[in-house]
Formats: sequence, structure tokens, C-alpha cells
Amino acid sequence: MQHPDRFDPLDPATQPVVPIPGYPNTQRRNPARAPFRRVLTRTELTGPLDLSQKLRPGDDNLAMLAPGRAAQGQLIHVGGRVLDEDGRPVAGAIVELWQANAGGRYFHPIDQRDAPLDPNFIGNGRTRSDAQGRYGFFTIKPGAYPVPDSGRWWRPPHIHISVLGPGSLMRLVTQMYFPGDPLNGLDRILNSVPDLAARARCIAASVLPTEIAGDWLGYTHDLVLRGRHATPPL
Amino acid sequence: MSRPNAPLVPTAWATIGPFFPNTFFREGDNDLTRMAPDAPPTAQGAPMWLTGRVLQEGGGPCVNAVLEAWQADAAGRFRHPRDPDWQQADPGFHGWGRAWTDAEGRFAFRTIIPGAYRDATGPRAPHINLAIIGSGIMGRLATTIFLPAFAEANAADPVLASLPEALRPLLVAQPDGLAEDGAPRFSLDLLLRGDAATETPFFED
Ligand SMILES: [Fe+3]
Repeated sequence: MQHPDRFDPLDPATQPVVPIPGYPNTQRRNPARAPFRRVLTRTELTGPLDLSQKLRPGDDNLAMLAPGRAAQGQLIHVGGRVLDEDGRPVAGAIVELWQANAGGRYFHPIDQRDAPLDPNFIGNGRTRSDAQGRYGFFTIKPGAYPVPDSGRWWRPPHIHISVLGPGSLMRLVTQMYFPGDPLNGLDRILNSVPDLAARARCIAASVLPTEIAGDWLGYTHDLVLRGRHATPPL
Repeated sequence: MSRPNAPLVPTAWATIGPFFPNTFFREGDNDLTRMAPDAPPTAQGAPMWLTGRVLQEGGGPCVNAVLEAWQADAAGRFRHPRDPDWQQADPGFHGWGRAWTDAEGRFAFRTIIPGAYRDATGPRAPHINLAIIGSGIMGRLATTIFLPAFAEANAADPVLASLPEALRPLLVAQPDGLAEDGAPRFSLDLLLRGDAATETPFFED
């Protein structure tokens, strides 16, 4: 039985408001003009069904570069489910993750901050959600870092996540935060989302140590993509 | 069909920030005619390049922006069940690619000239969907690029028609010679923020 696709407009209160003070690129790079409304046709309702040939998954353990080369920091597992707005699991979504090391520095040529690089931590990973929509990464807890030229704005520990679901309109790029961090309340990116509940949903939940095995402190974080009646079977 | 859970609210977007990993890019990611970055081009149709620059307020280059392209195959079909003809779609055409901008804000996609199609909303002219993400961009900036050879189809396209007439040329790429592989190149600049006459039109998601 075929239901019509539904991509309801995003509730603006649940999405960031720009510009963000102290982040000049949010001024320079966001249109002054409101976006135009358009009819949704095939081209918007479709998207690459399975990107795993193009964007190859496999790097889901960021904490161990090679045997015997463990990254510095608190070992953590971050996992959860990729869901649509009906709570249906989105299978086969590509989930990309990148983050700073335990000292708050990225392994990236343009991060020239005076904090240590960890030779055993790159901090980039990619995986694919399973049939239940589950994804997971073994990594370390990232450090906080100051935003250059912004006064006293520090980014709280956070993990960048990009999700490519089976439809262009399902695309999501987000950041995951850690529960209880005092910097969360001061972060201008997290707080650019007006709706408090939407903000709270960007903060992962702790998993009790009794619930996971091994050396990993657990966090669970579900990712909700746009779309109702819209998740095609793989 | 029943709903397994109460409706959920989509997760809040955030910027990719300045540190989107270079290692996520592989040569060939920007080639929509390859099924994998290291596979040979297998798409049917006439090859073309879509190139240009991403510019920010003031006209300077937007460095390290990420562009994602999606388009129909040469016959106007998408390999996705929301296209009723998807089983006939070209199995050698991937249709999706990712590029990132260099220090001058330049990007390039290799693809084939997309086909036109008709659906319930009317005739769609050949087009390439682009989404731009980057540091400071807090959502997906979505737009659609058209080609100058299809003036009649462009005039009838319902998405292009949703723009004021004066802005429509901003979404039509212009011929820009031949690429090294001999395929025609079409070019345009995407201005993320500017005055009303020059800022690239973006569409609601
Ligand atoms: Fe960051």
C-alpha cells in the first residue's frame, strides 16, 4: 500500500537561528533572502538509496588506530538509531562522524591551535545503519576547545555527525553533546536552537556502565531524519 | 500502515564547522557517472562537467564548502522507488556526488546531461540538484541548476517558474569550453549572500 510522501516543513523553533554572535561565517554564508517555496517532485523526493559503494563504511573504531595504538582519552561508545519522523528505522543510512581529540584539537590542517595532537587519533569515521537503523562508533570523549577570535566562547565537548538517508530531503548534519557539561549552557551553536526540547535532544544520554561490556563508557543518541511515510524499504 | 511510535521531531541541524575531514573525500567522489570513486565511468548519456565557485558575502571565496549533487539519468529516471520507472533507470549511473571547494571557492562535478521527465507536477527540465553545507551554514542550502540548451523546457519548469523572472538566469549554468576529457563544461557561481539581484536563489527544503 502506497502512502503519499510527506515532508512537512521543519518547525523553525527546532532549528538554529542565524546569524550567531561571534561566528562571522553564519552572517557571510547564509542567504539574506528567504528560501523560495517549490513544488516537490521526484527529484526532491528521491536520493541515493545506498551510498556505501561511494562513501565506504568501515571506520567505526576511532579509538584504536592500529593494534597497540590506542588513542588518549576516555574510551566511549556512541550509538543509537537513525529514525524517520514516524519512528521507523532508517536502514542503510551512511553516518559520518568527526571530532576533536581528548585535548580539543582536530587532526585537520586548519586547526593550528596550541593543543597537543594525538598521534593515535584521527577522529574521522563512517558507518552504515543496520536493518534496525542502528549505528555505533567506538571513540574517545573529545575535549572542549575555544573558538578563535570569539572572546570567551568555548565549544563544549561535541561530536559532529552527518547522515545521508535514502532521500535528499532526509539529509542531516548535526552535533551531539554530552550530558551534564557546564559548557553546554553557554554554547552559542547549541543555544541557537530556540526550542528547549529540541536543544535537549542534541544531548546524548549516558548508558549505565552495567549495560555495556568492556572498557567503553556508553552514550546513546538517536538521530531523527525528516520524512513521514517516506522511508523506502531497502 | 500503522505508526510504530508517536511522531518524532527531526533532529536540529548544525554546521559542519571548519574541520570537516579532508580524508572523507576521495578522488572520483565528484563524478556522478561512477558507481564507486575508483570504478570507471559507466553511465549512459553525454558527459558534461558542472563547475563554478561558491562565494560568500562580499564576493570572496567560500573555502572548504561541501557540495552534494543529485540528478536523474540521461533518460530522466531516478534509481529510487519514488520514481515509478526506477526499474528502468540506468544501472551504470550513480547520480550522486560530492565535491568540496578549494582556496578559490572552486568546485567541479563530472556527470552526464540529465534527462527531462514529466510527473504529476508537470514537465521538469533537465536539472542538477545541489546542496551546500559549510562552516557557518546551519542547514542545507538547496538549489537546482539548469542548462542553457533547454530554454523551452526551462521556461516550462515549475521549480524555475517559482522564482521571479529576473532571478531565473542565476540558476542557468553557462557554456565554459571543454574540459580536459573533451566533455563540455557548464559553469556558474553560487553567491551565498548578496544583494537581491545577485544572491543565488535557494529553495525551502
Ligand atoms: Fe567542532
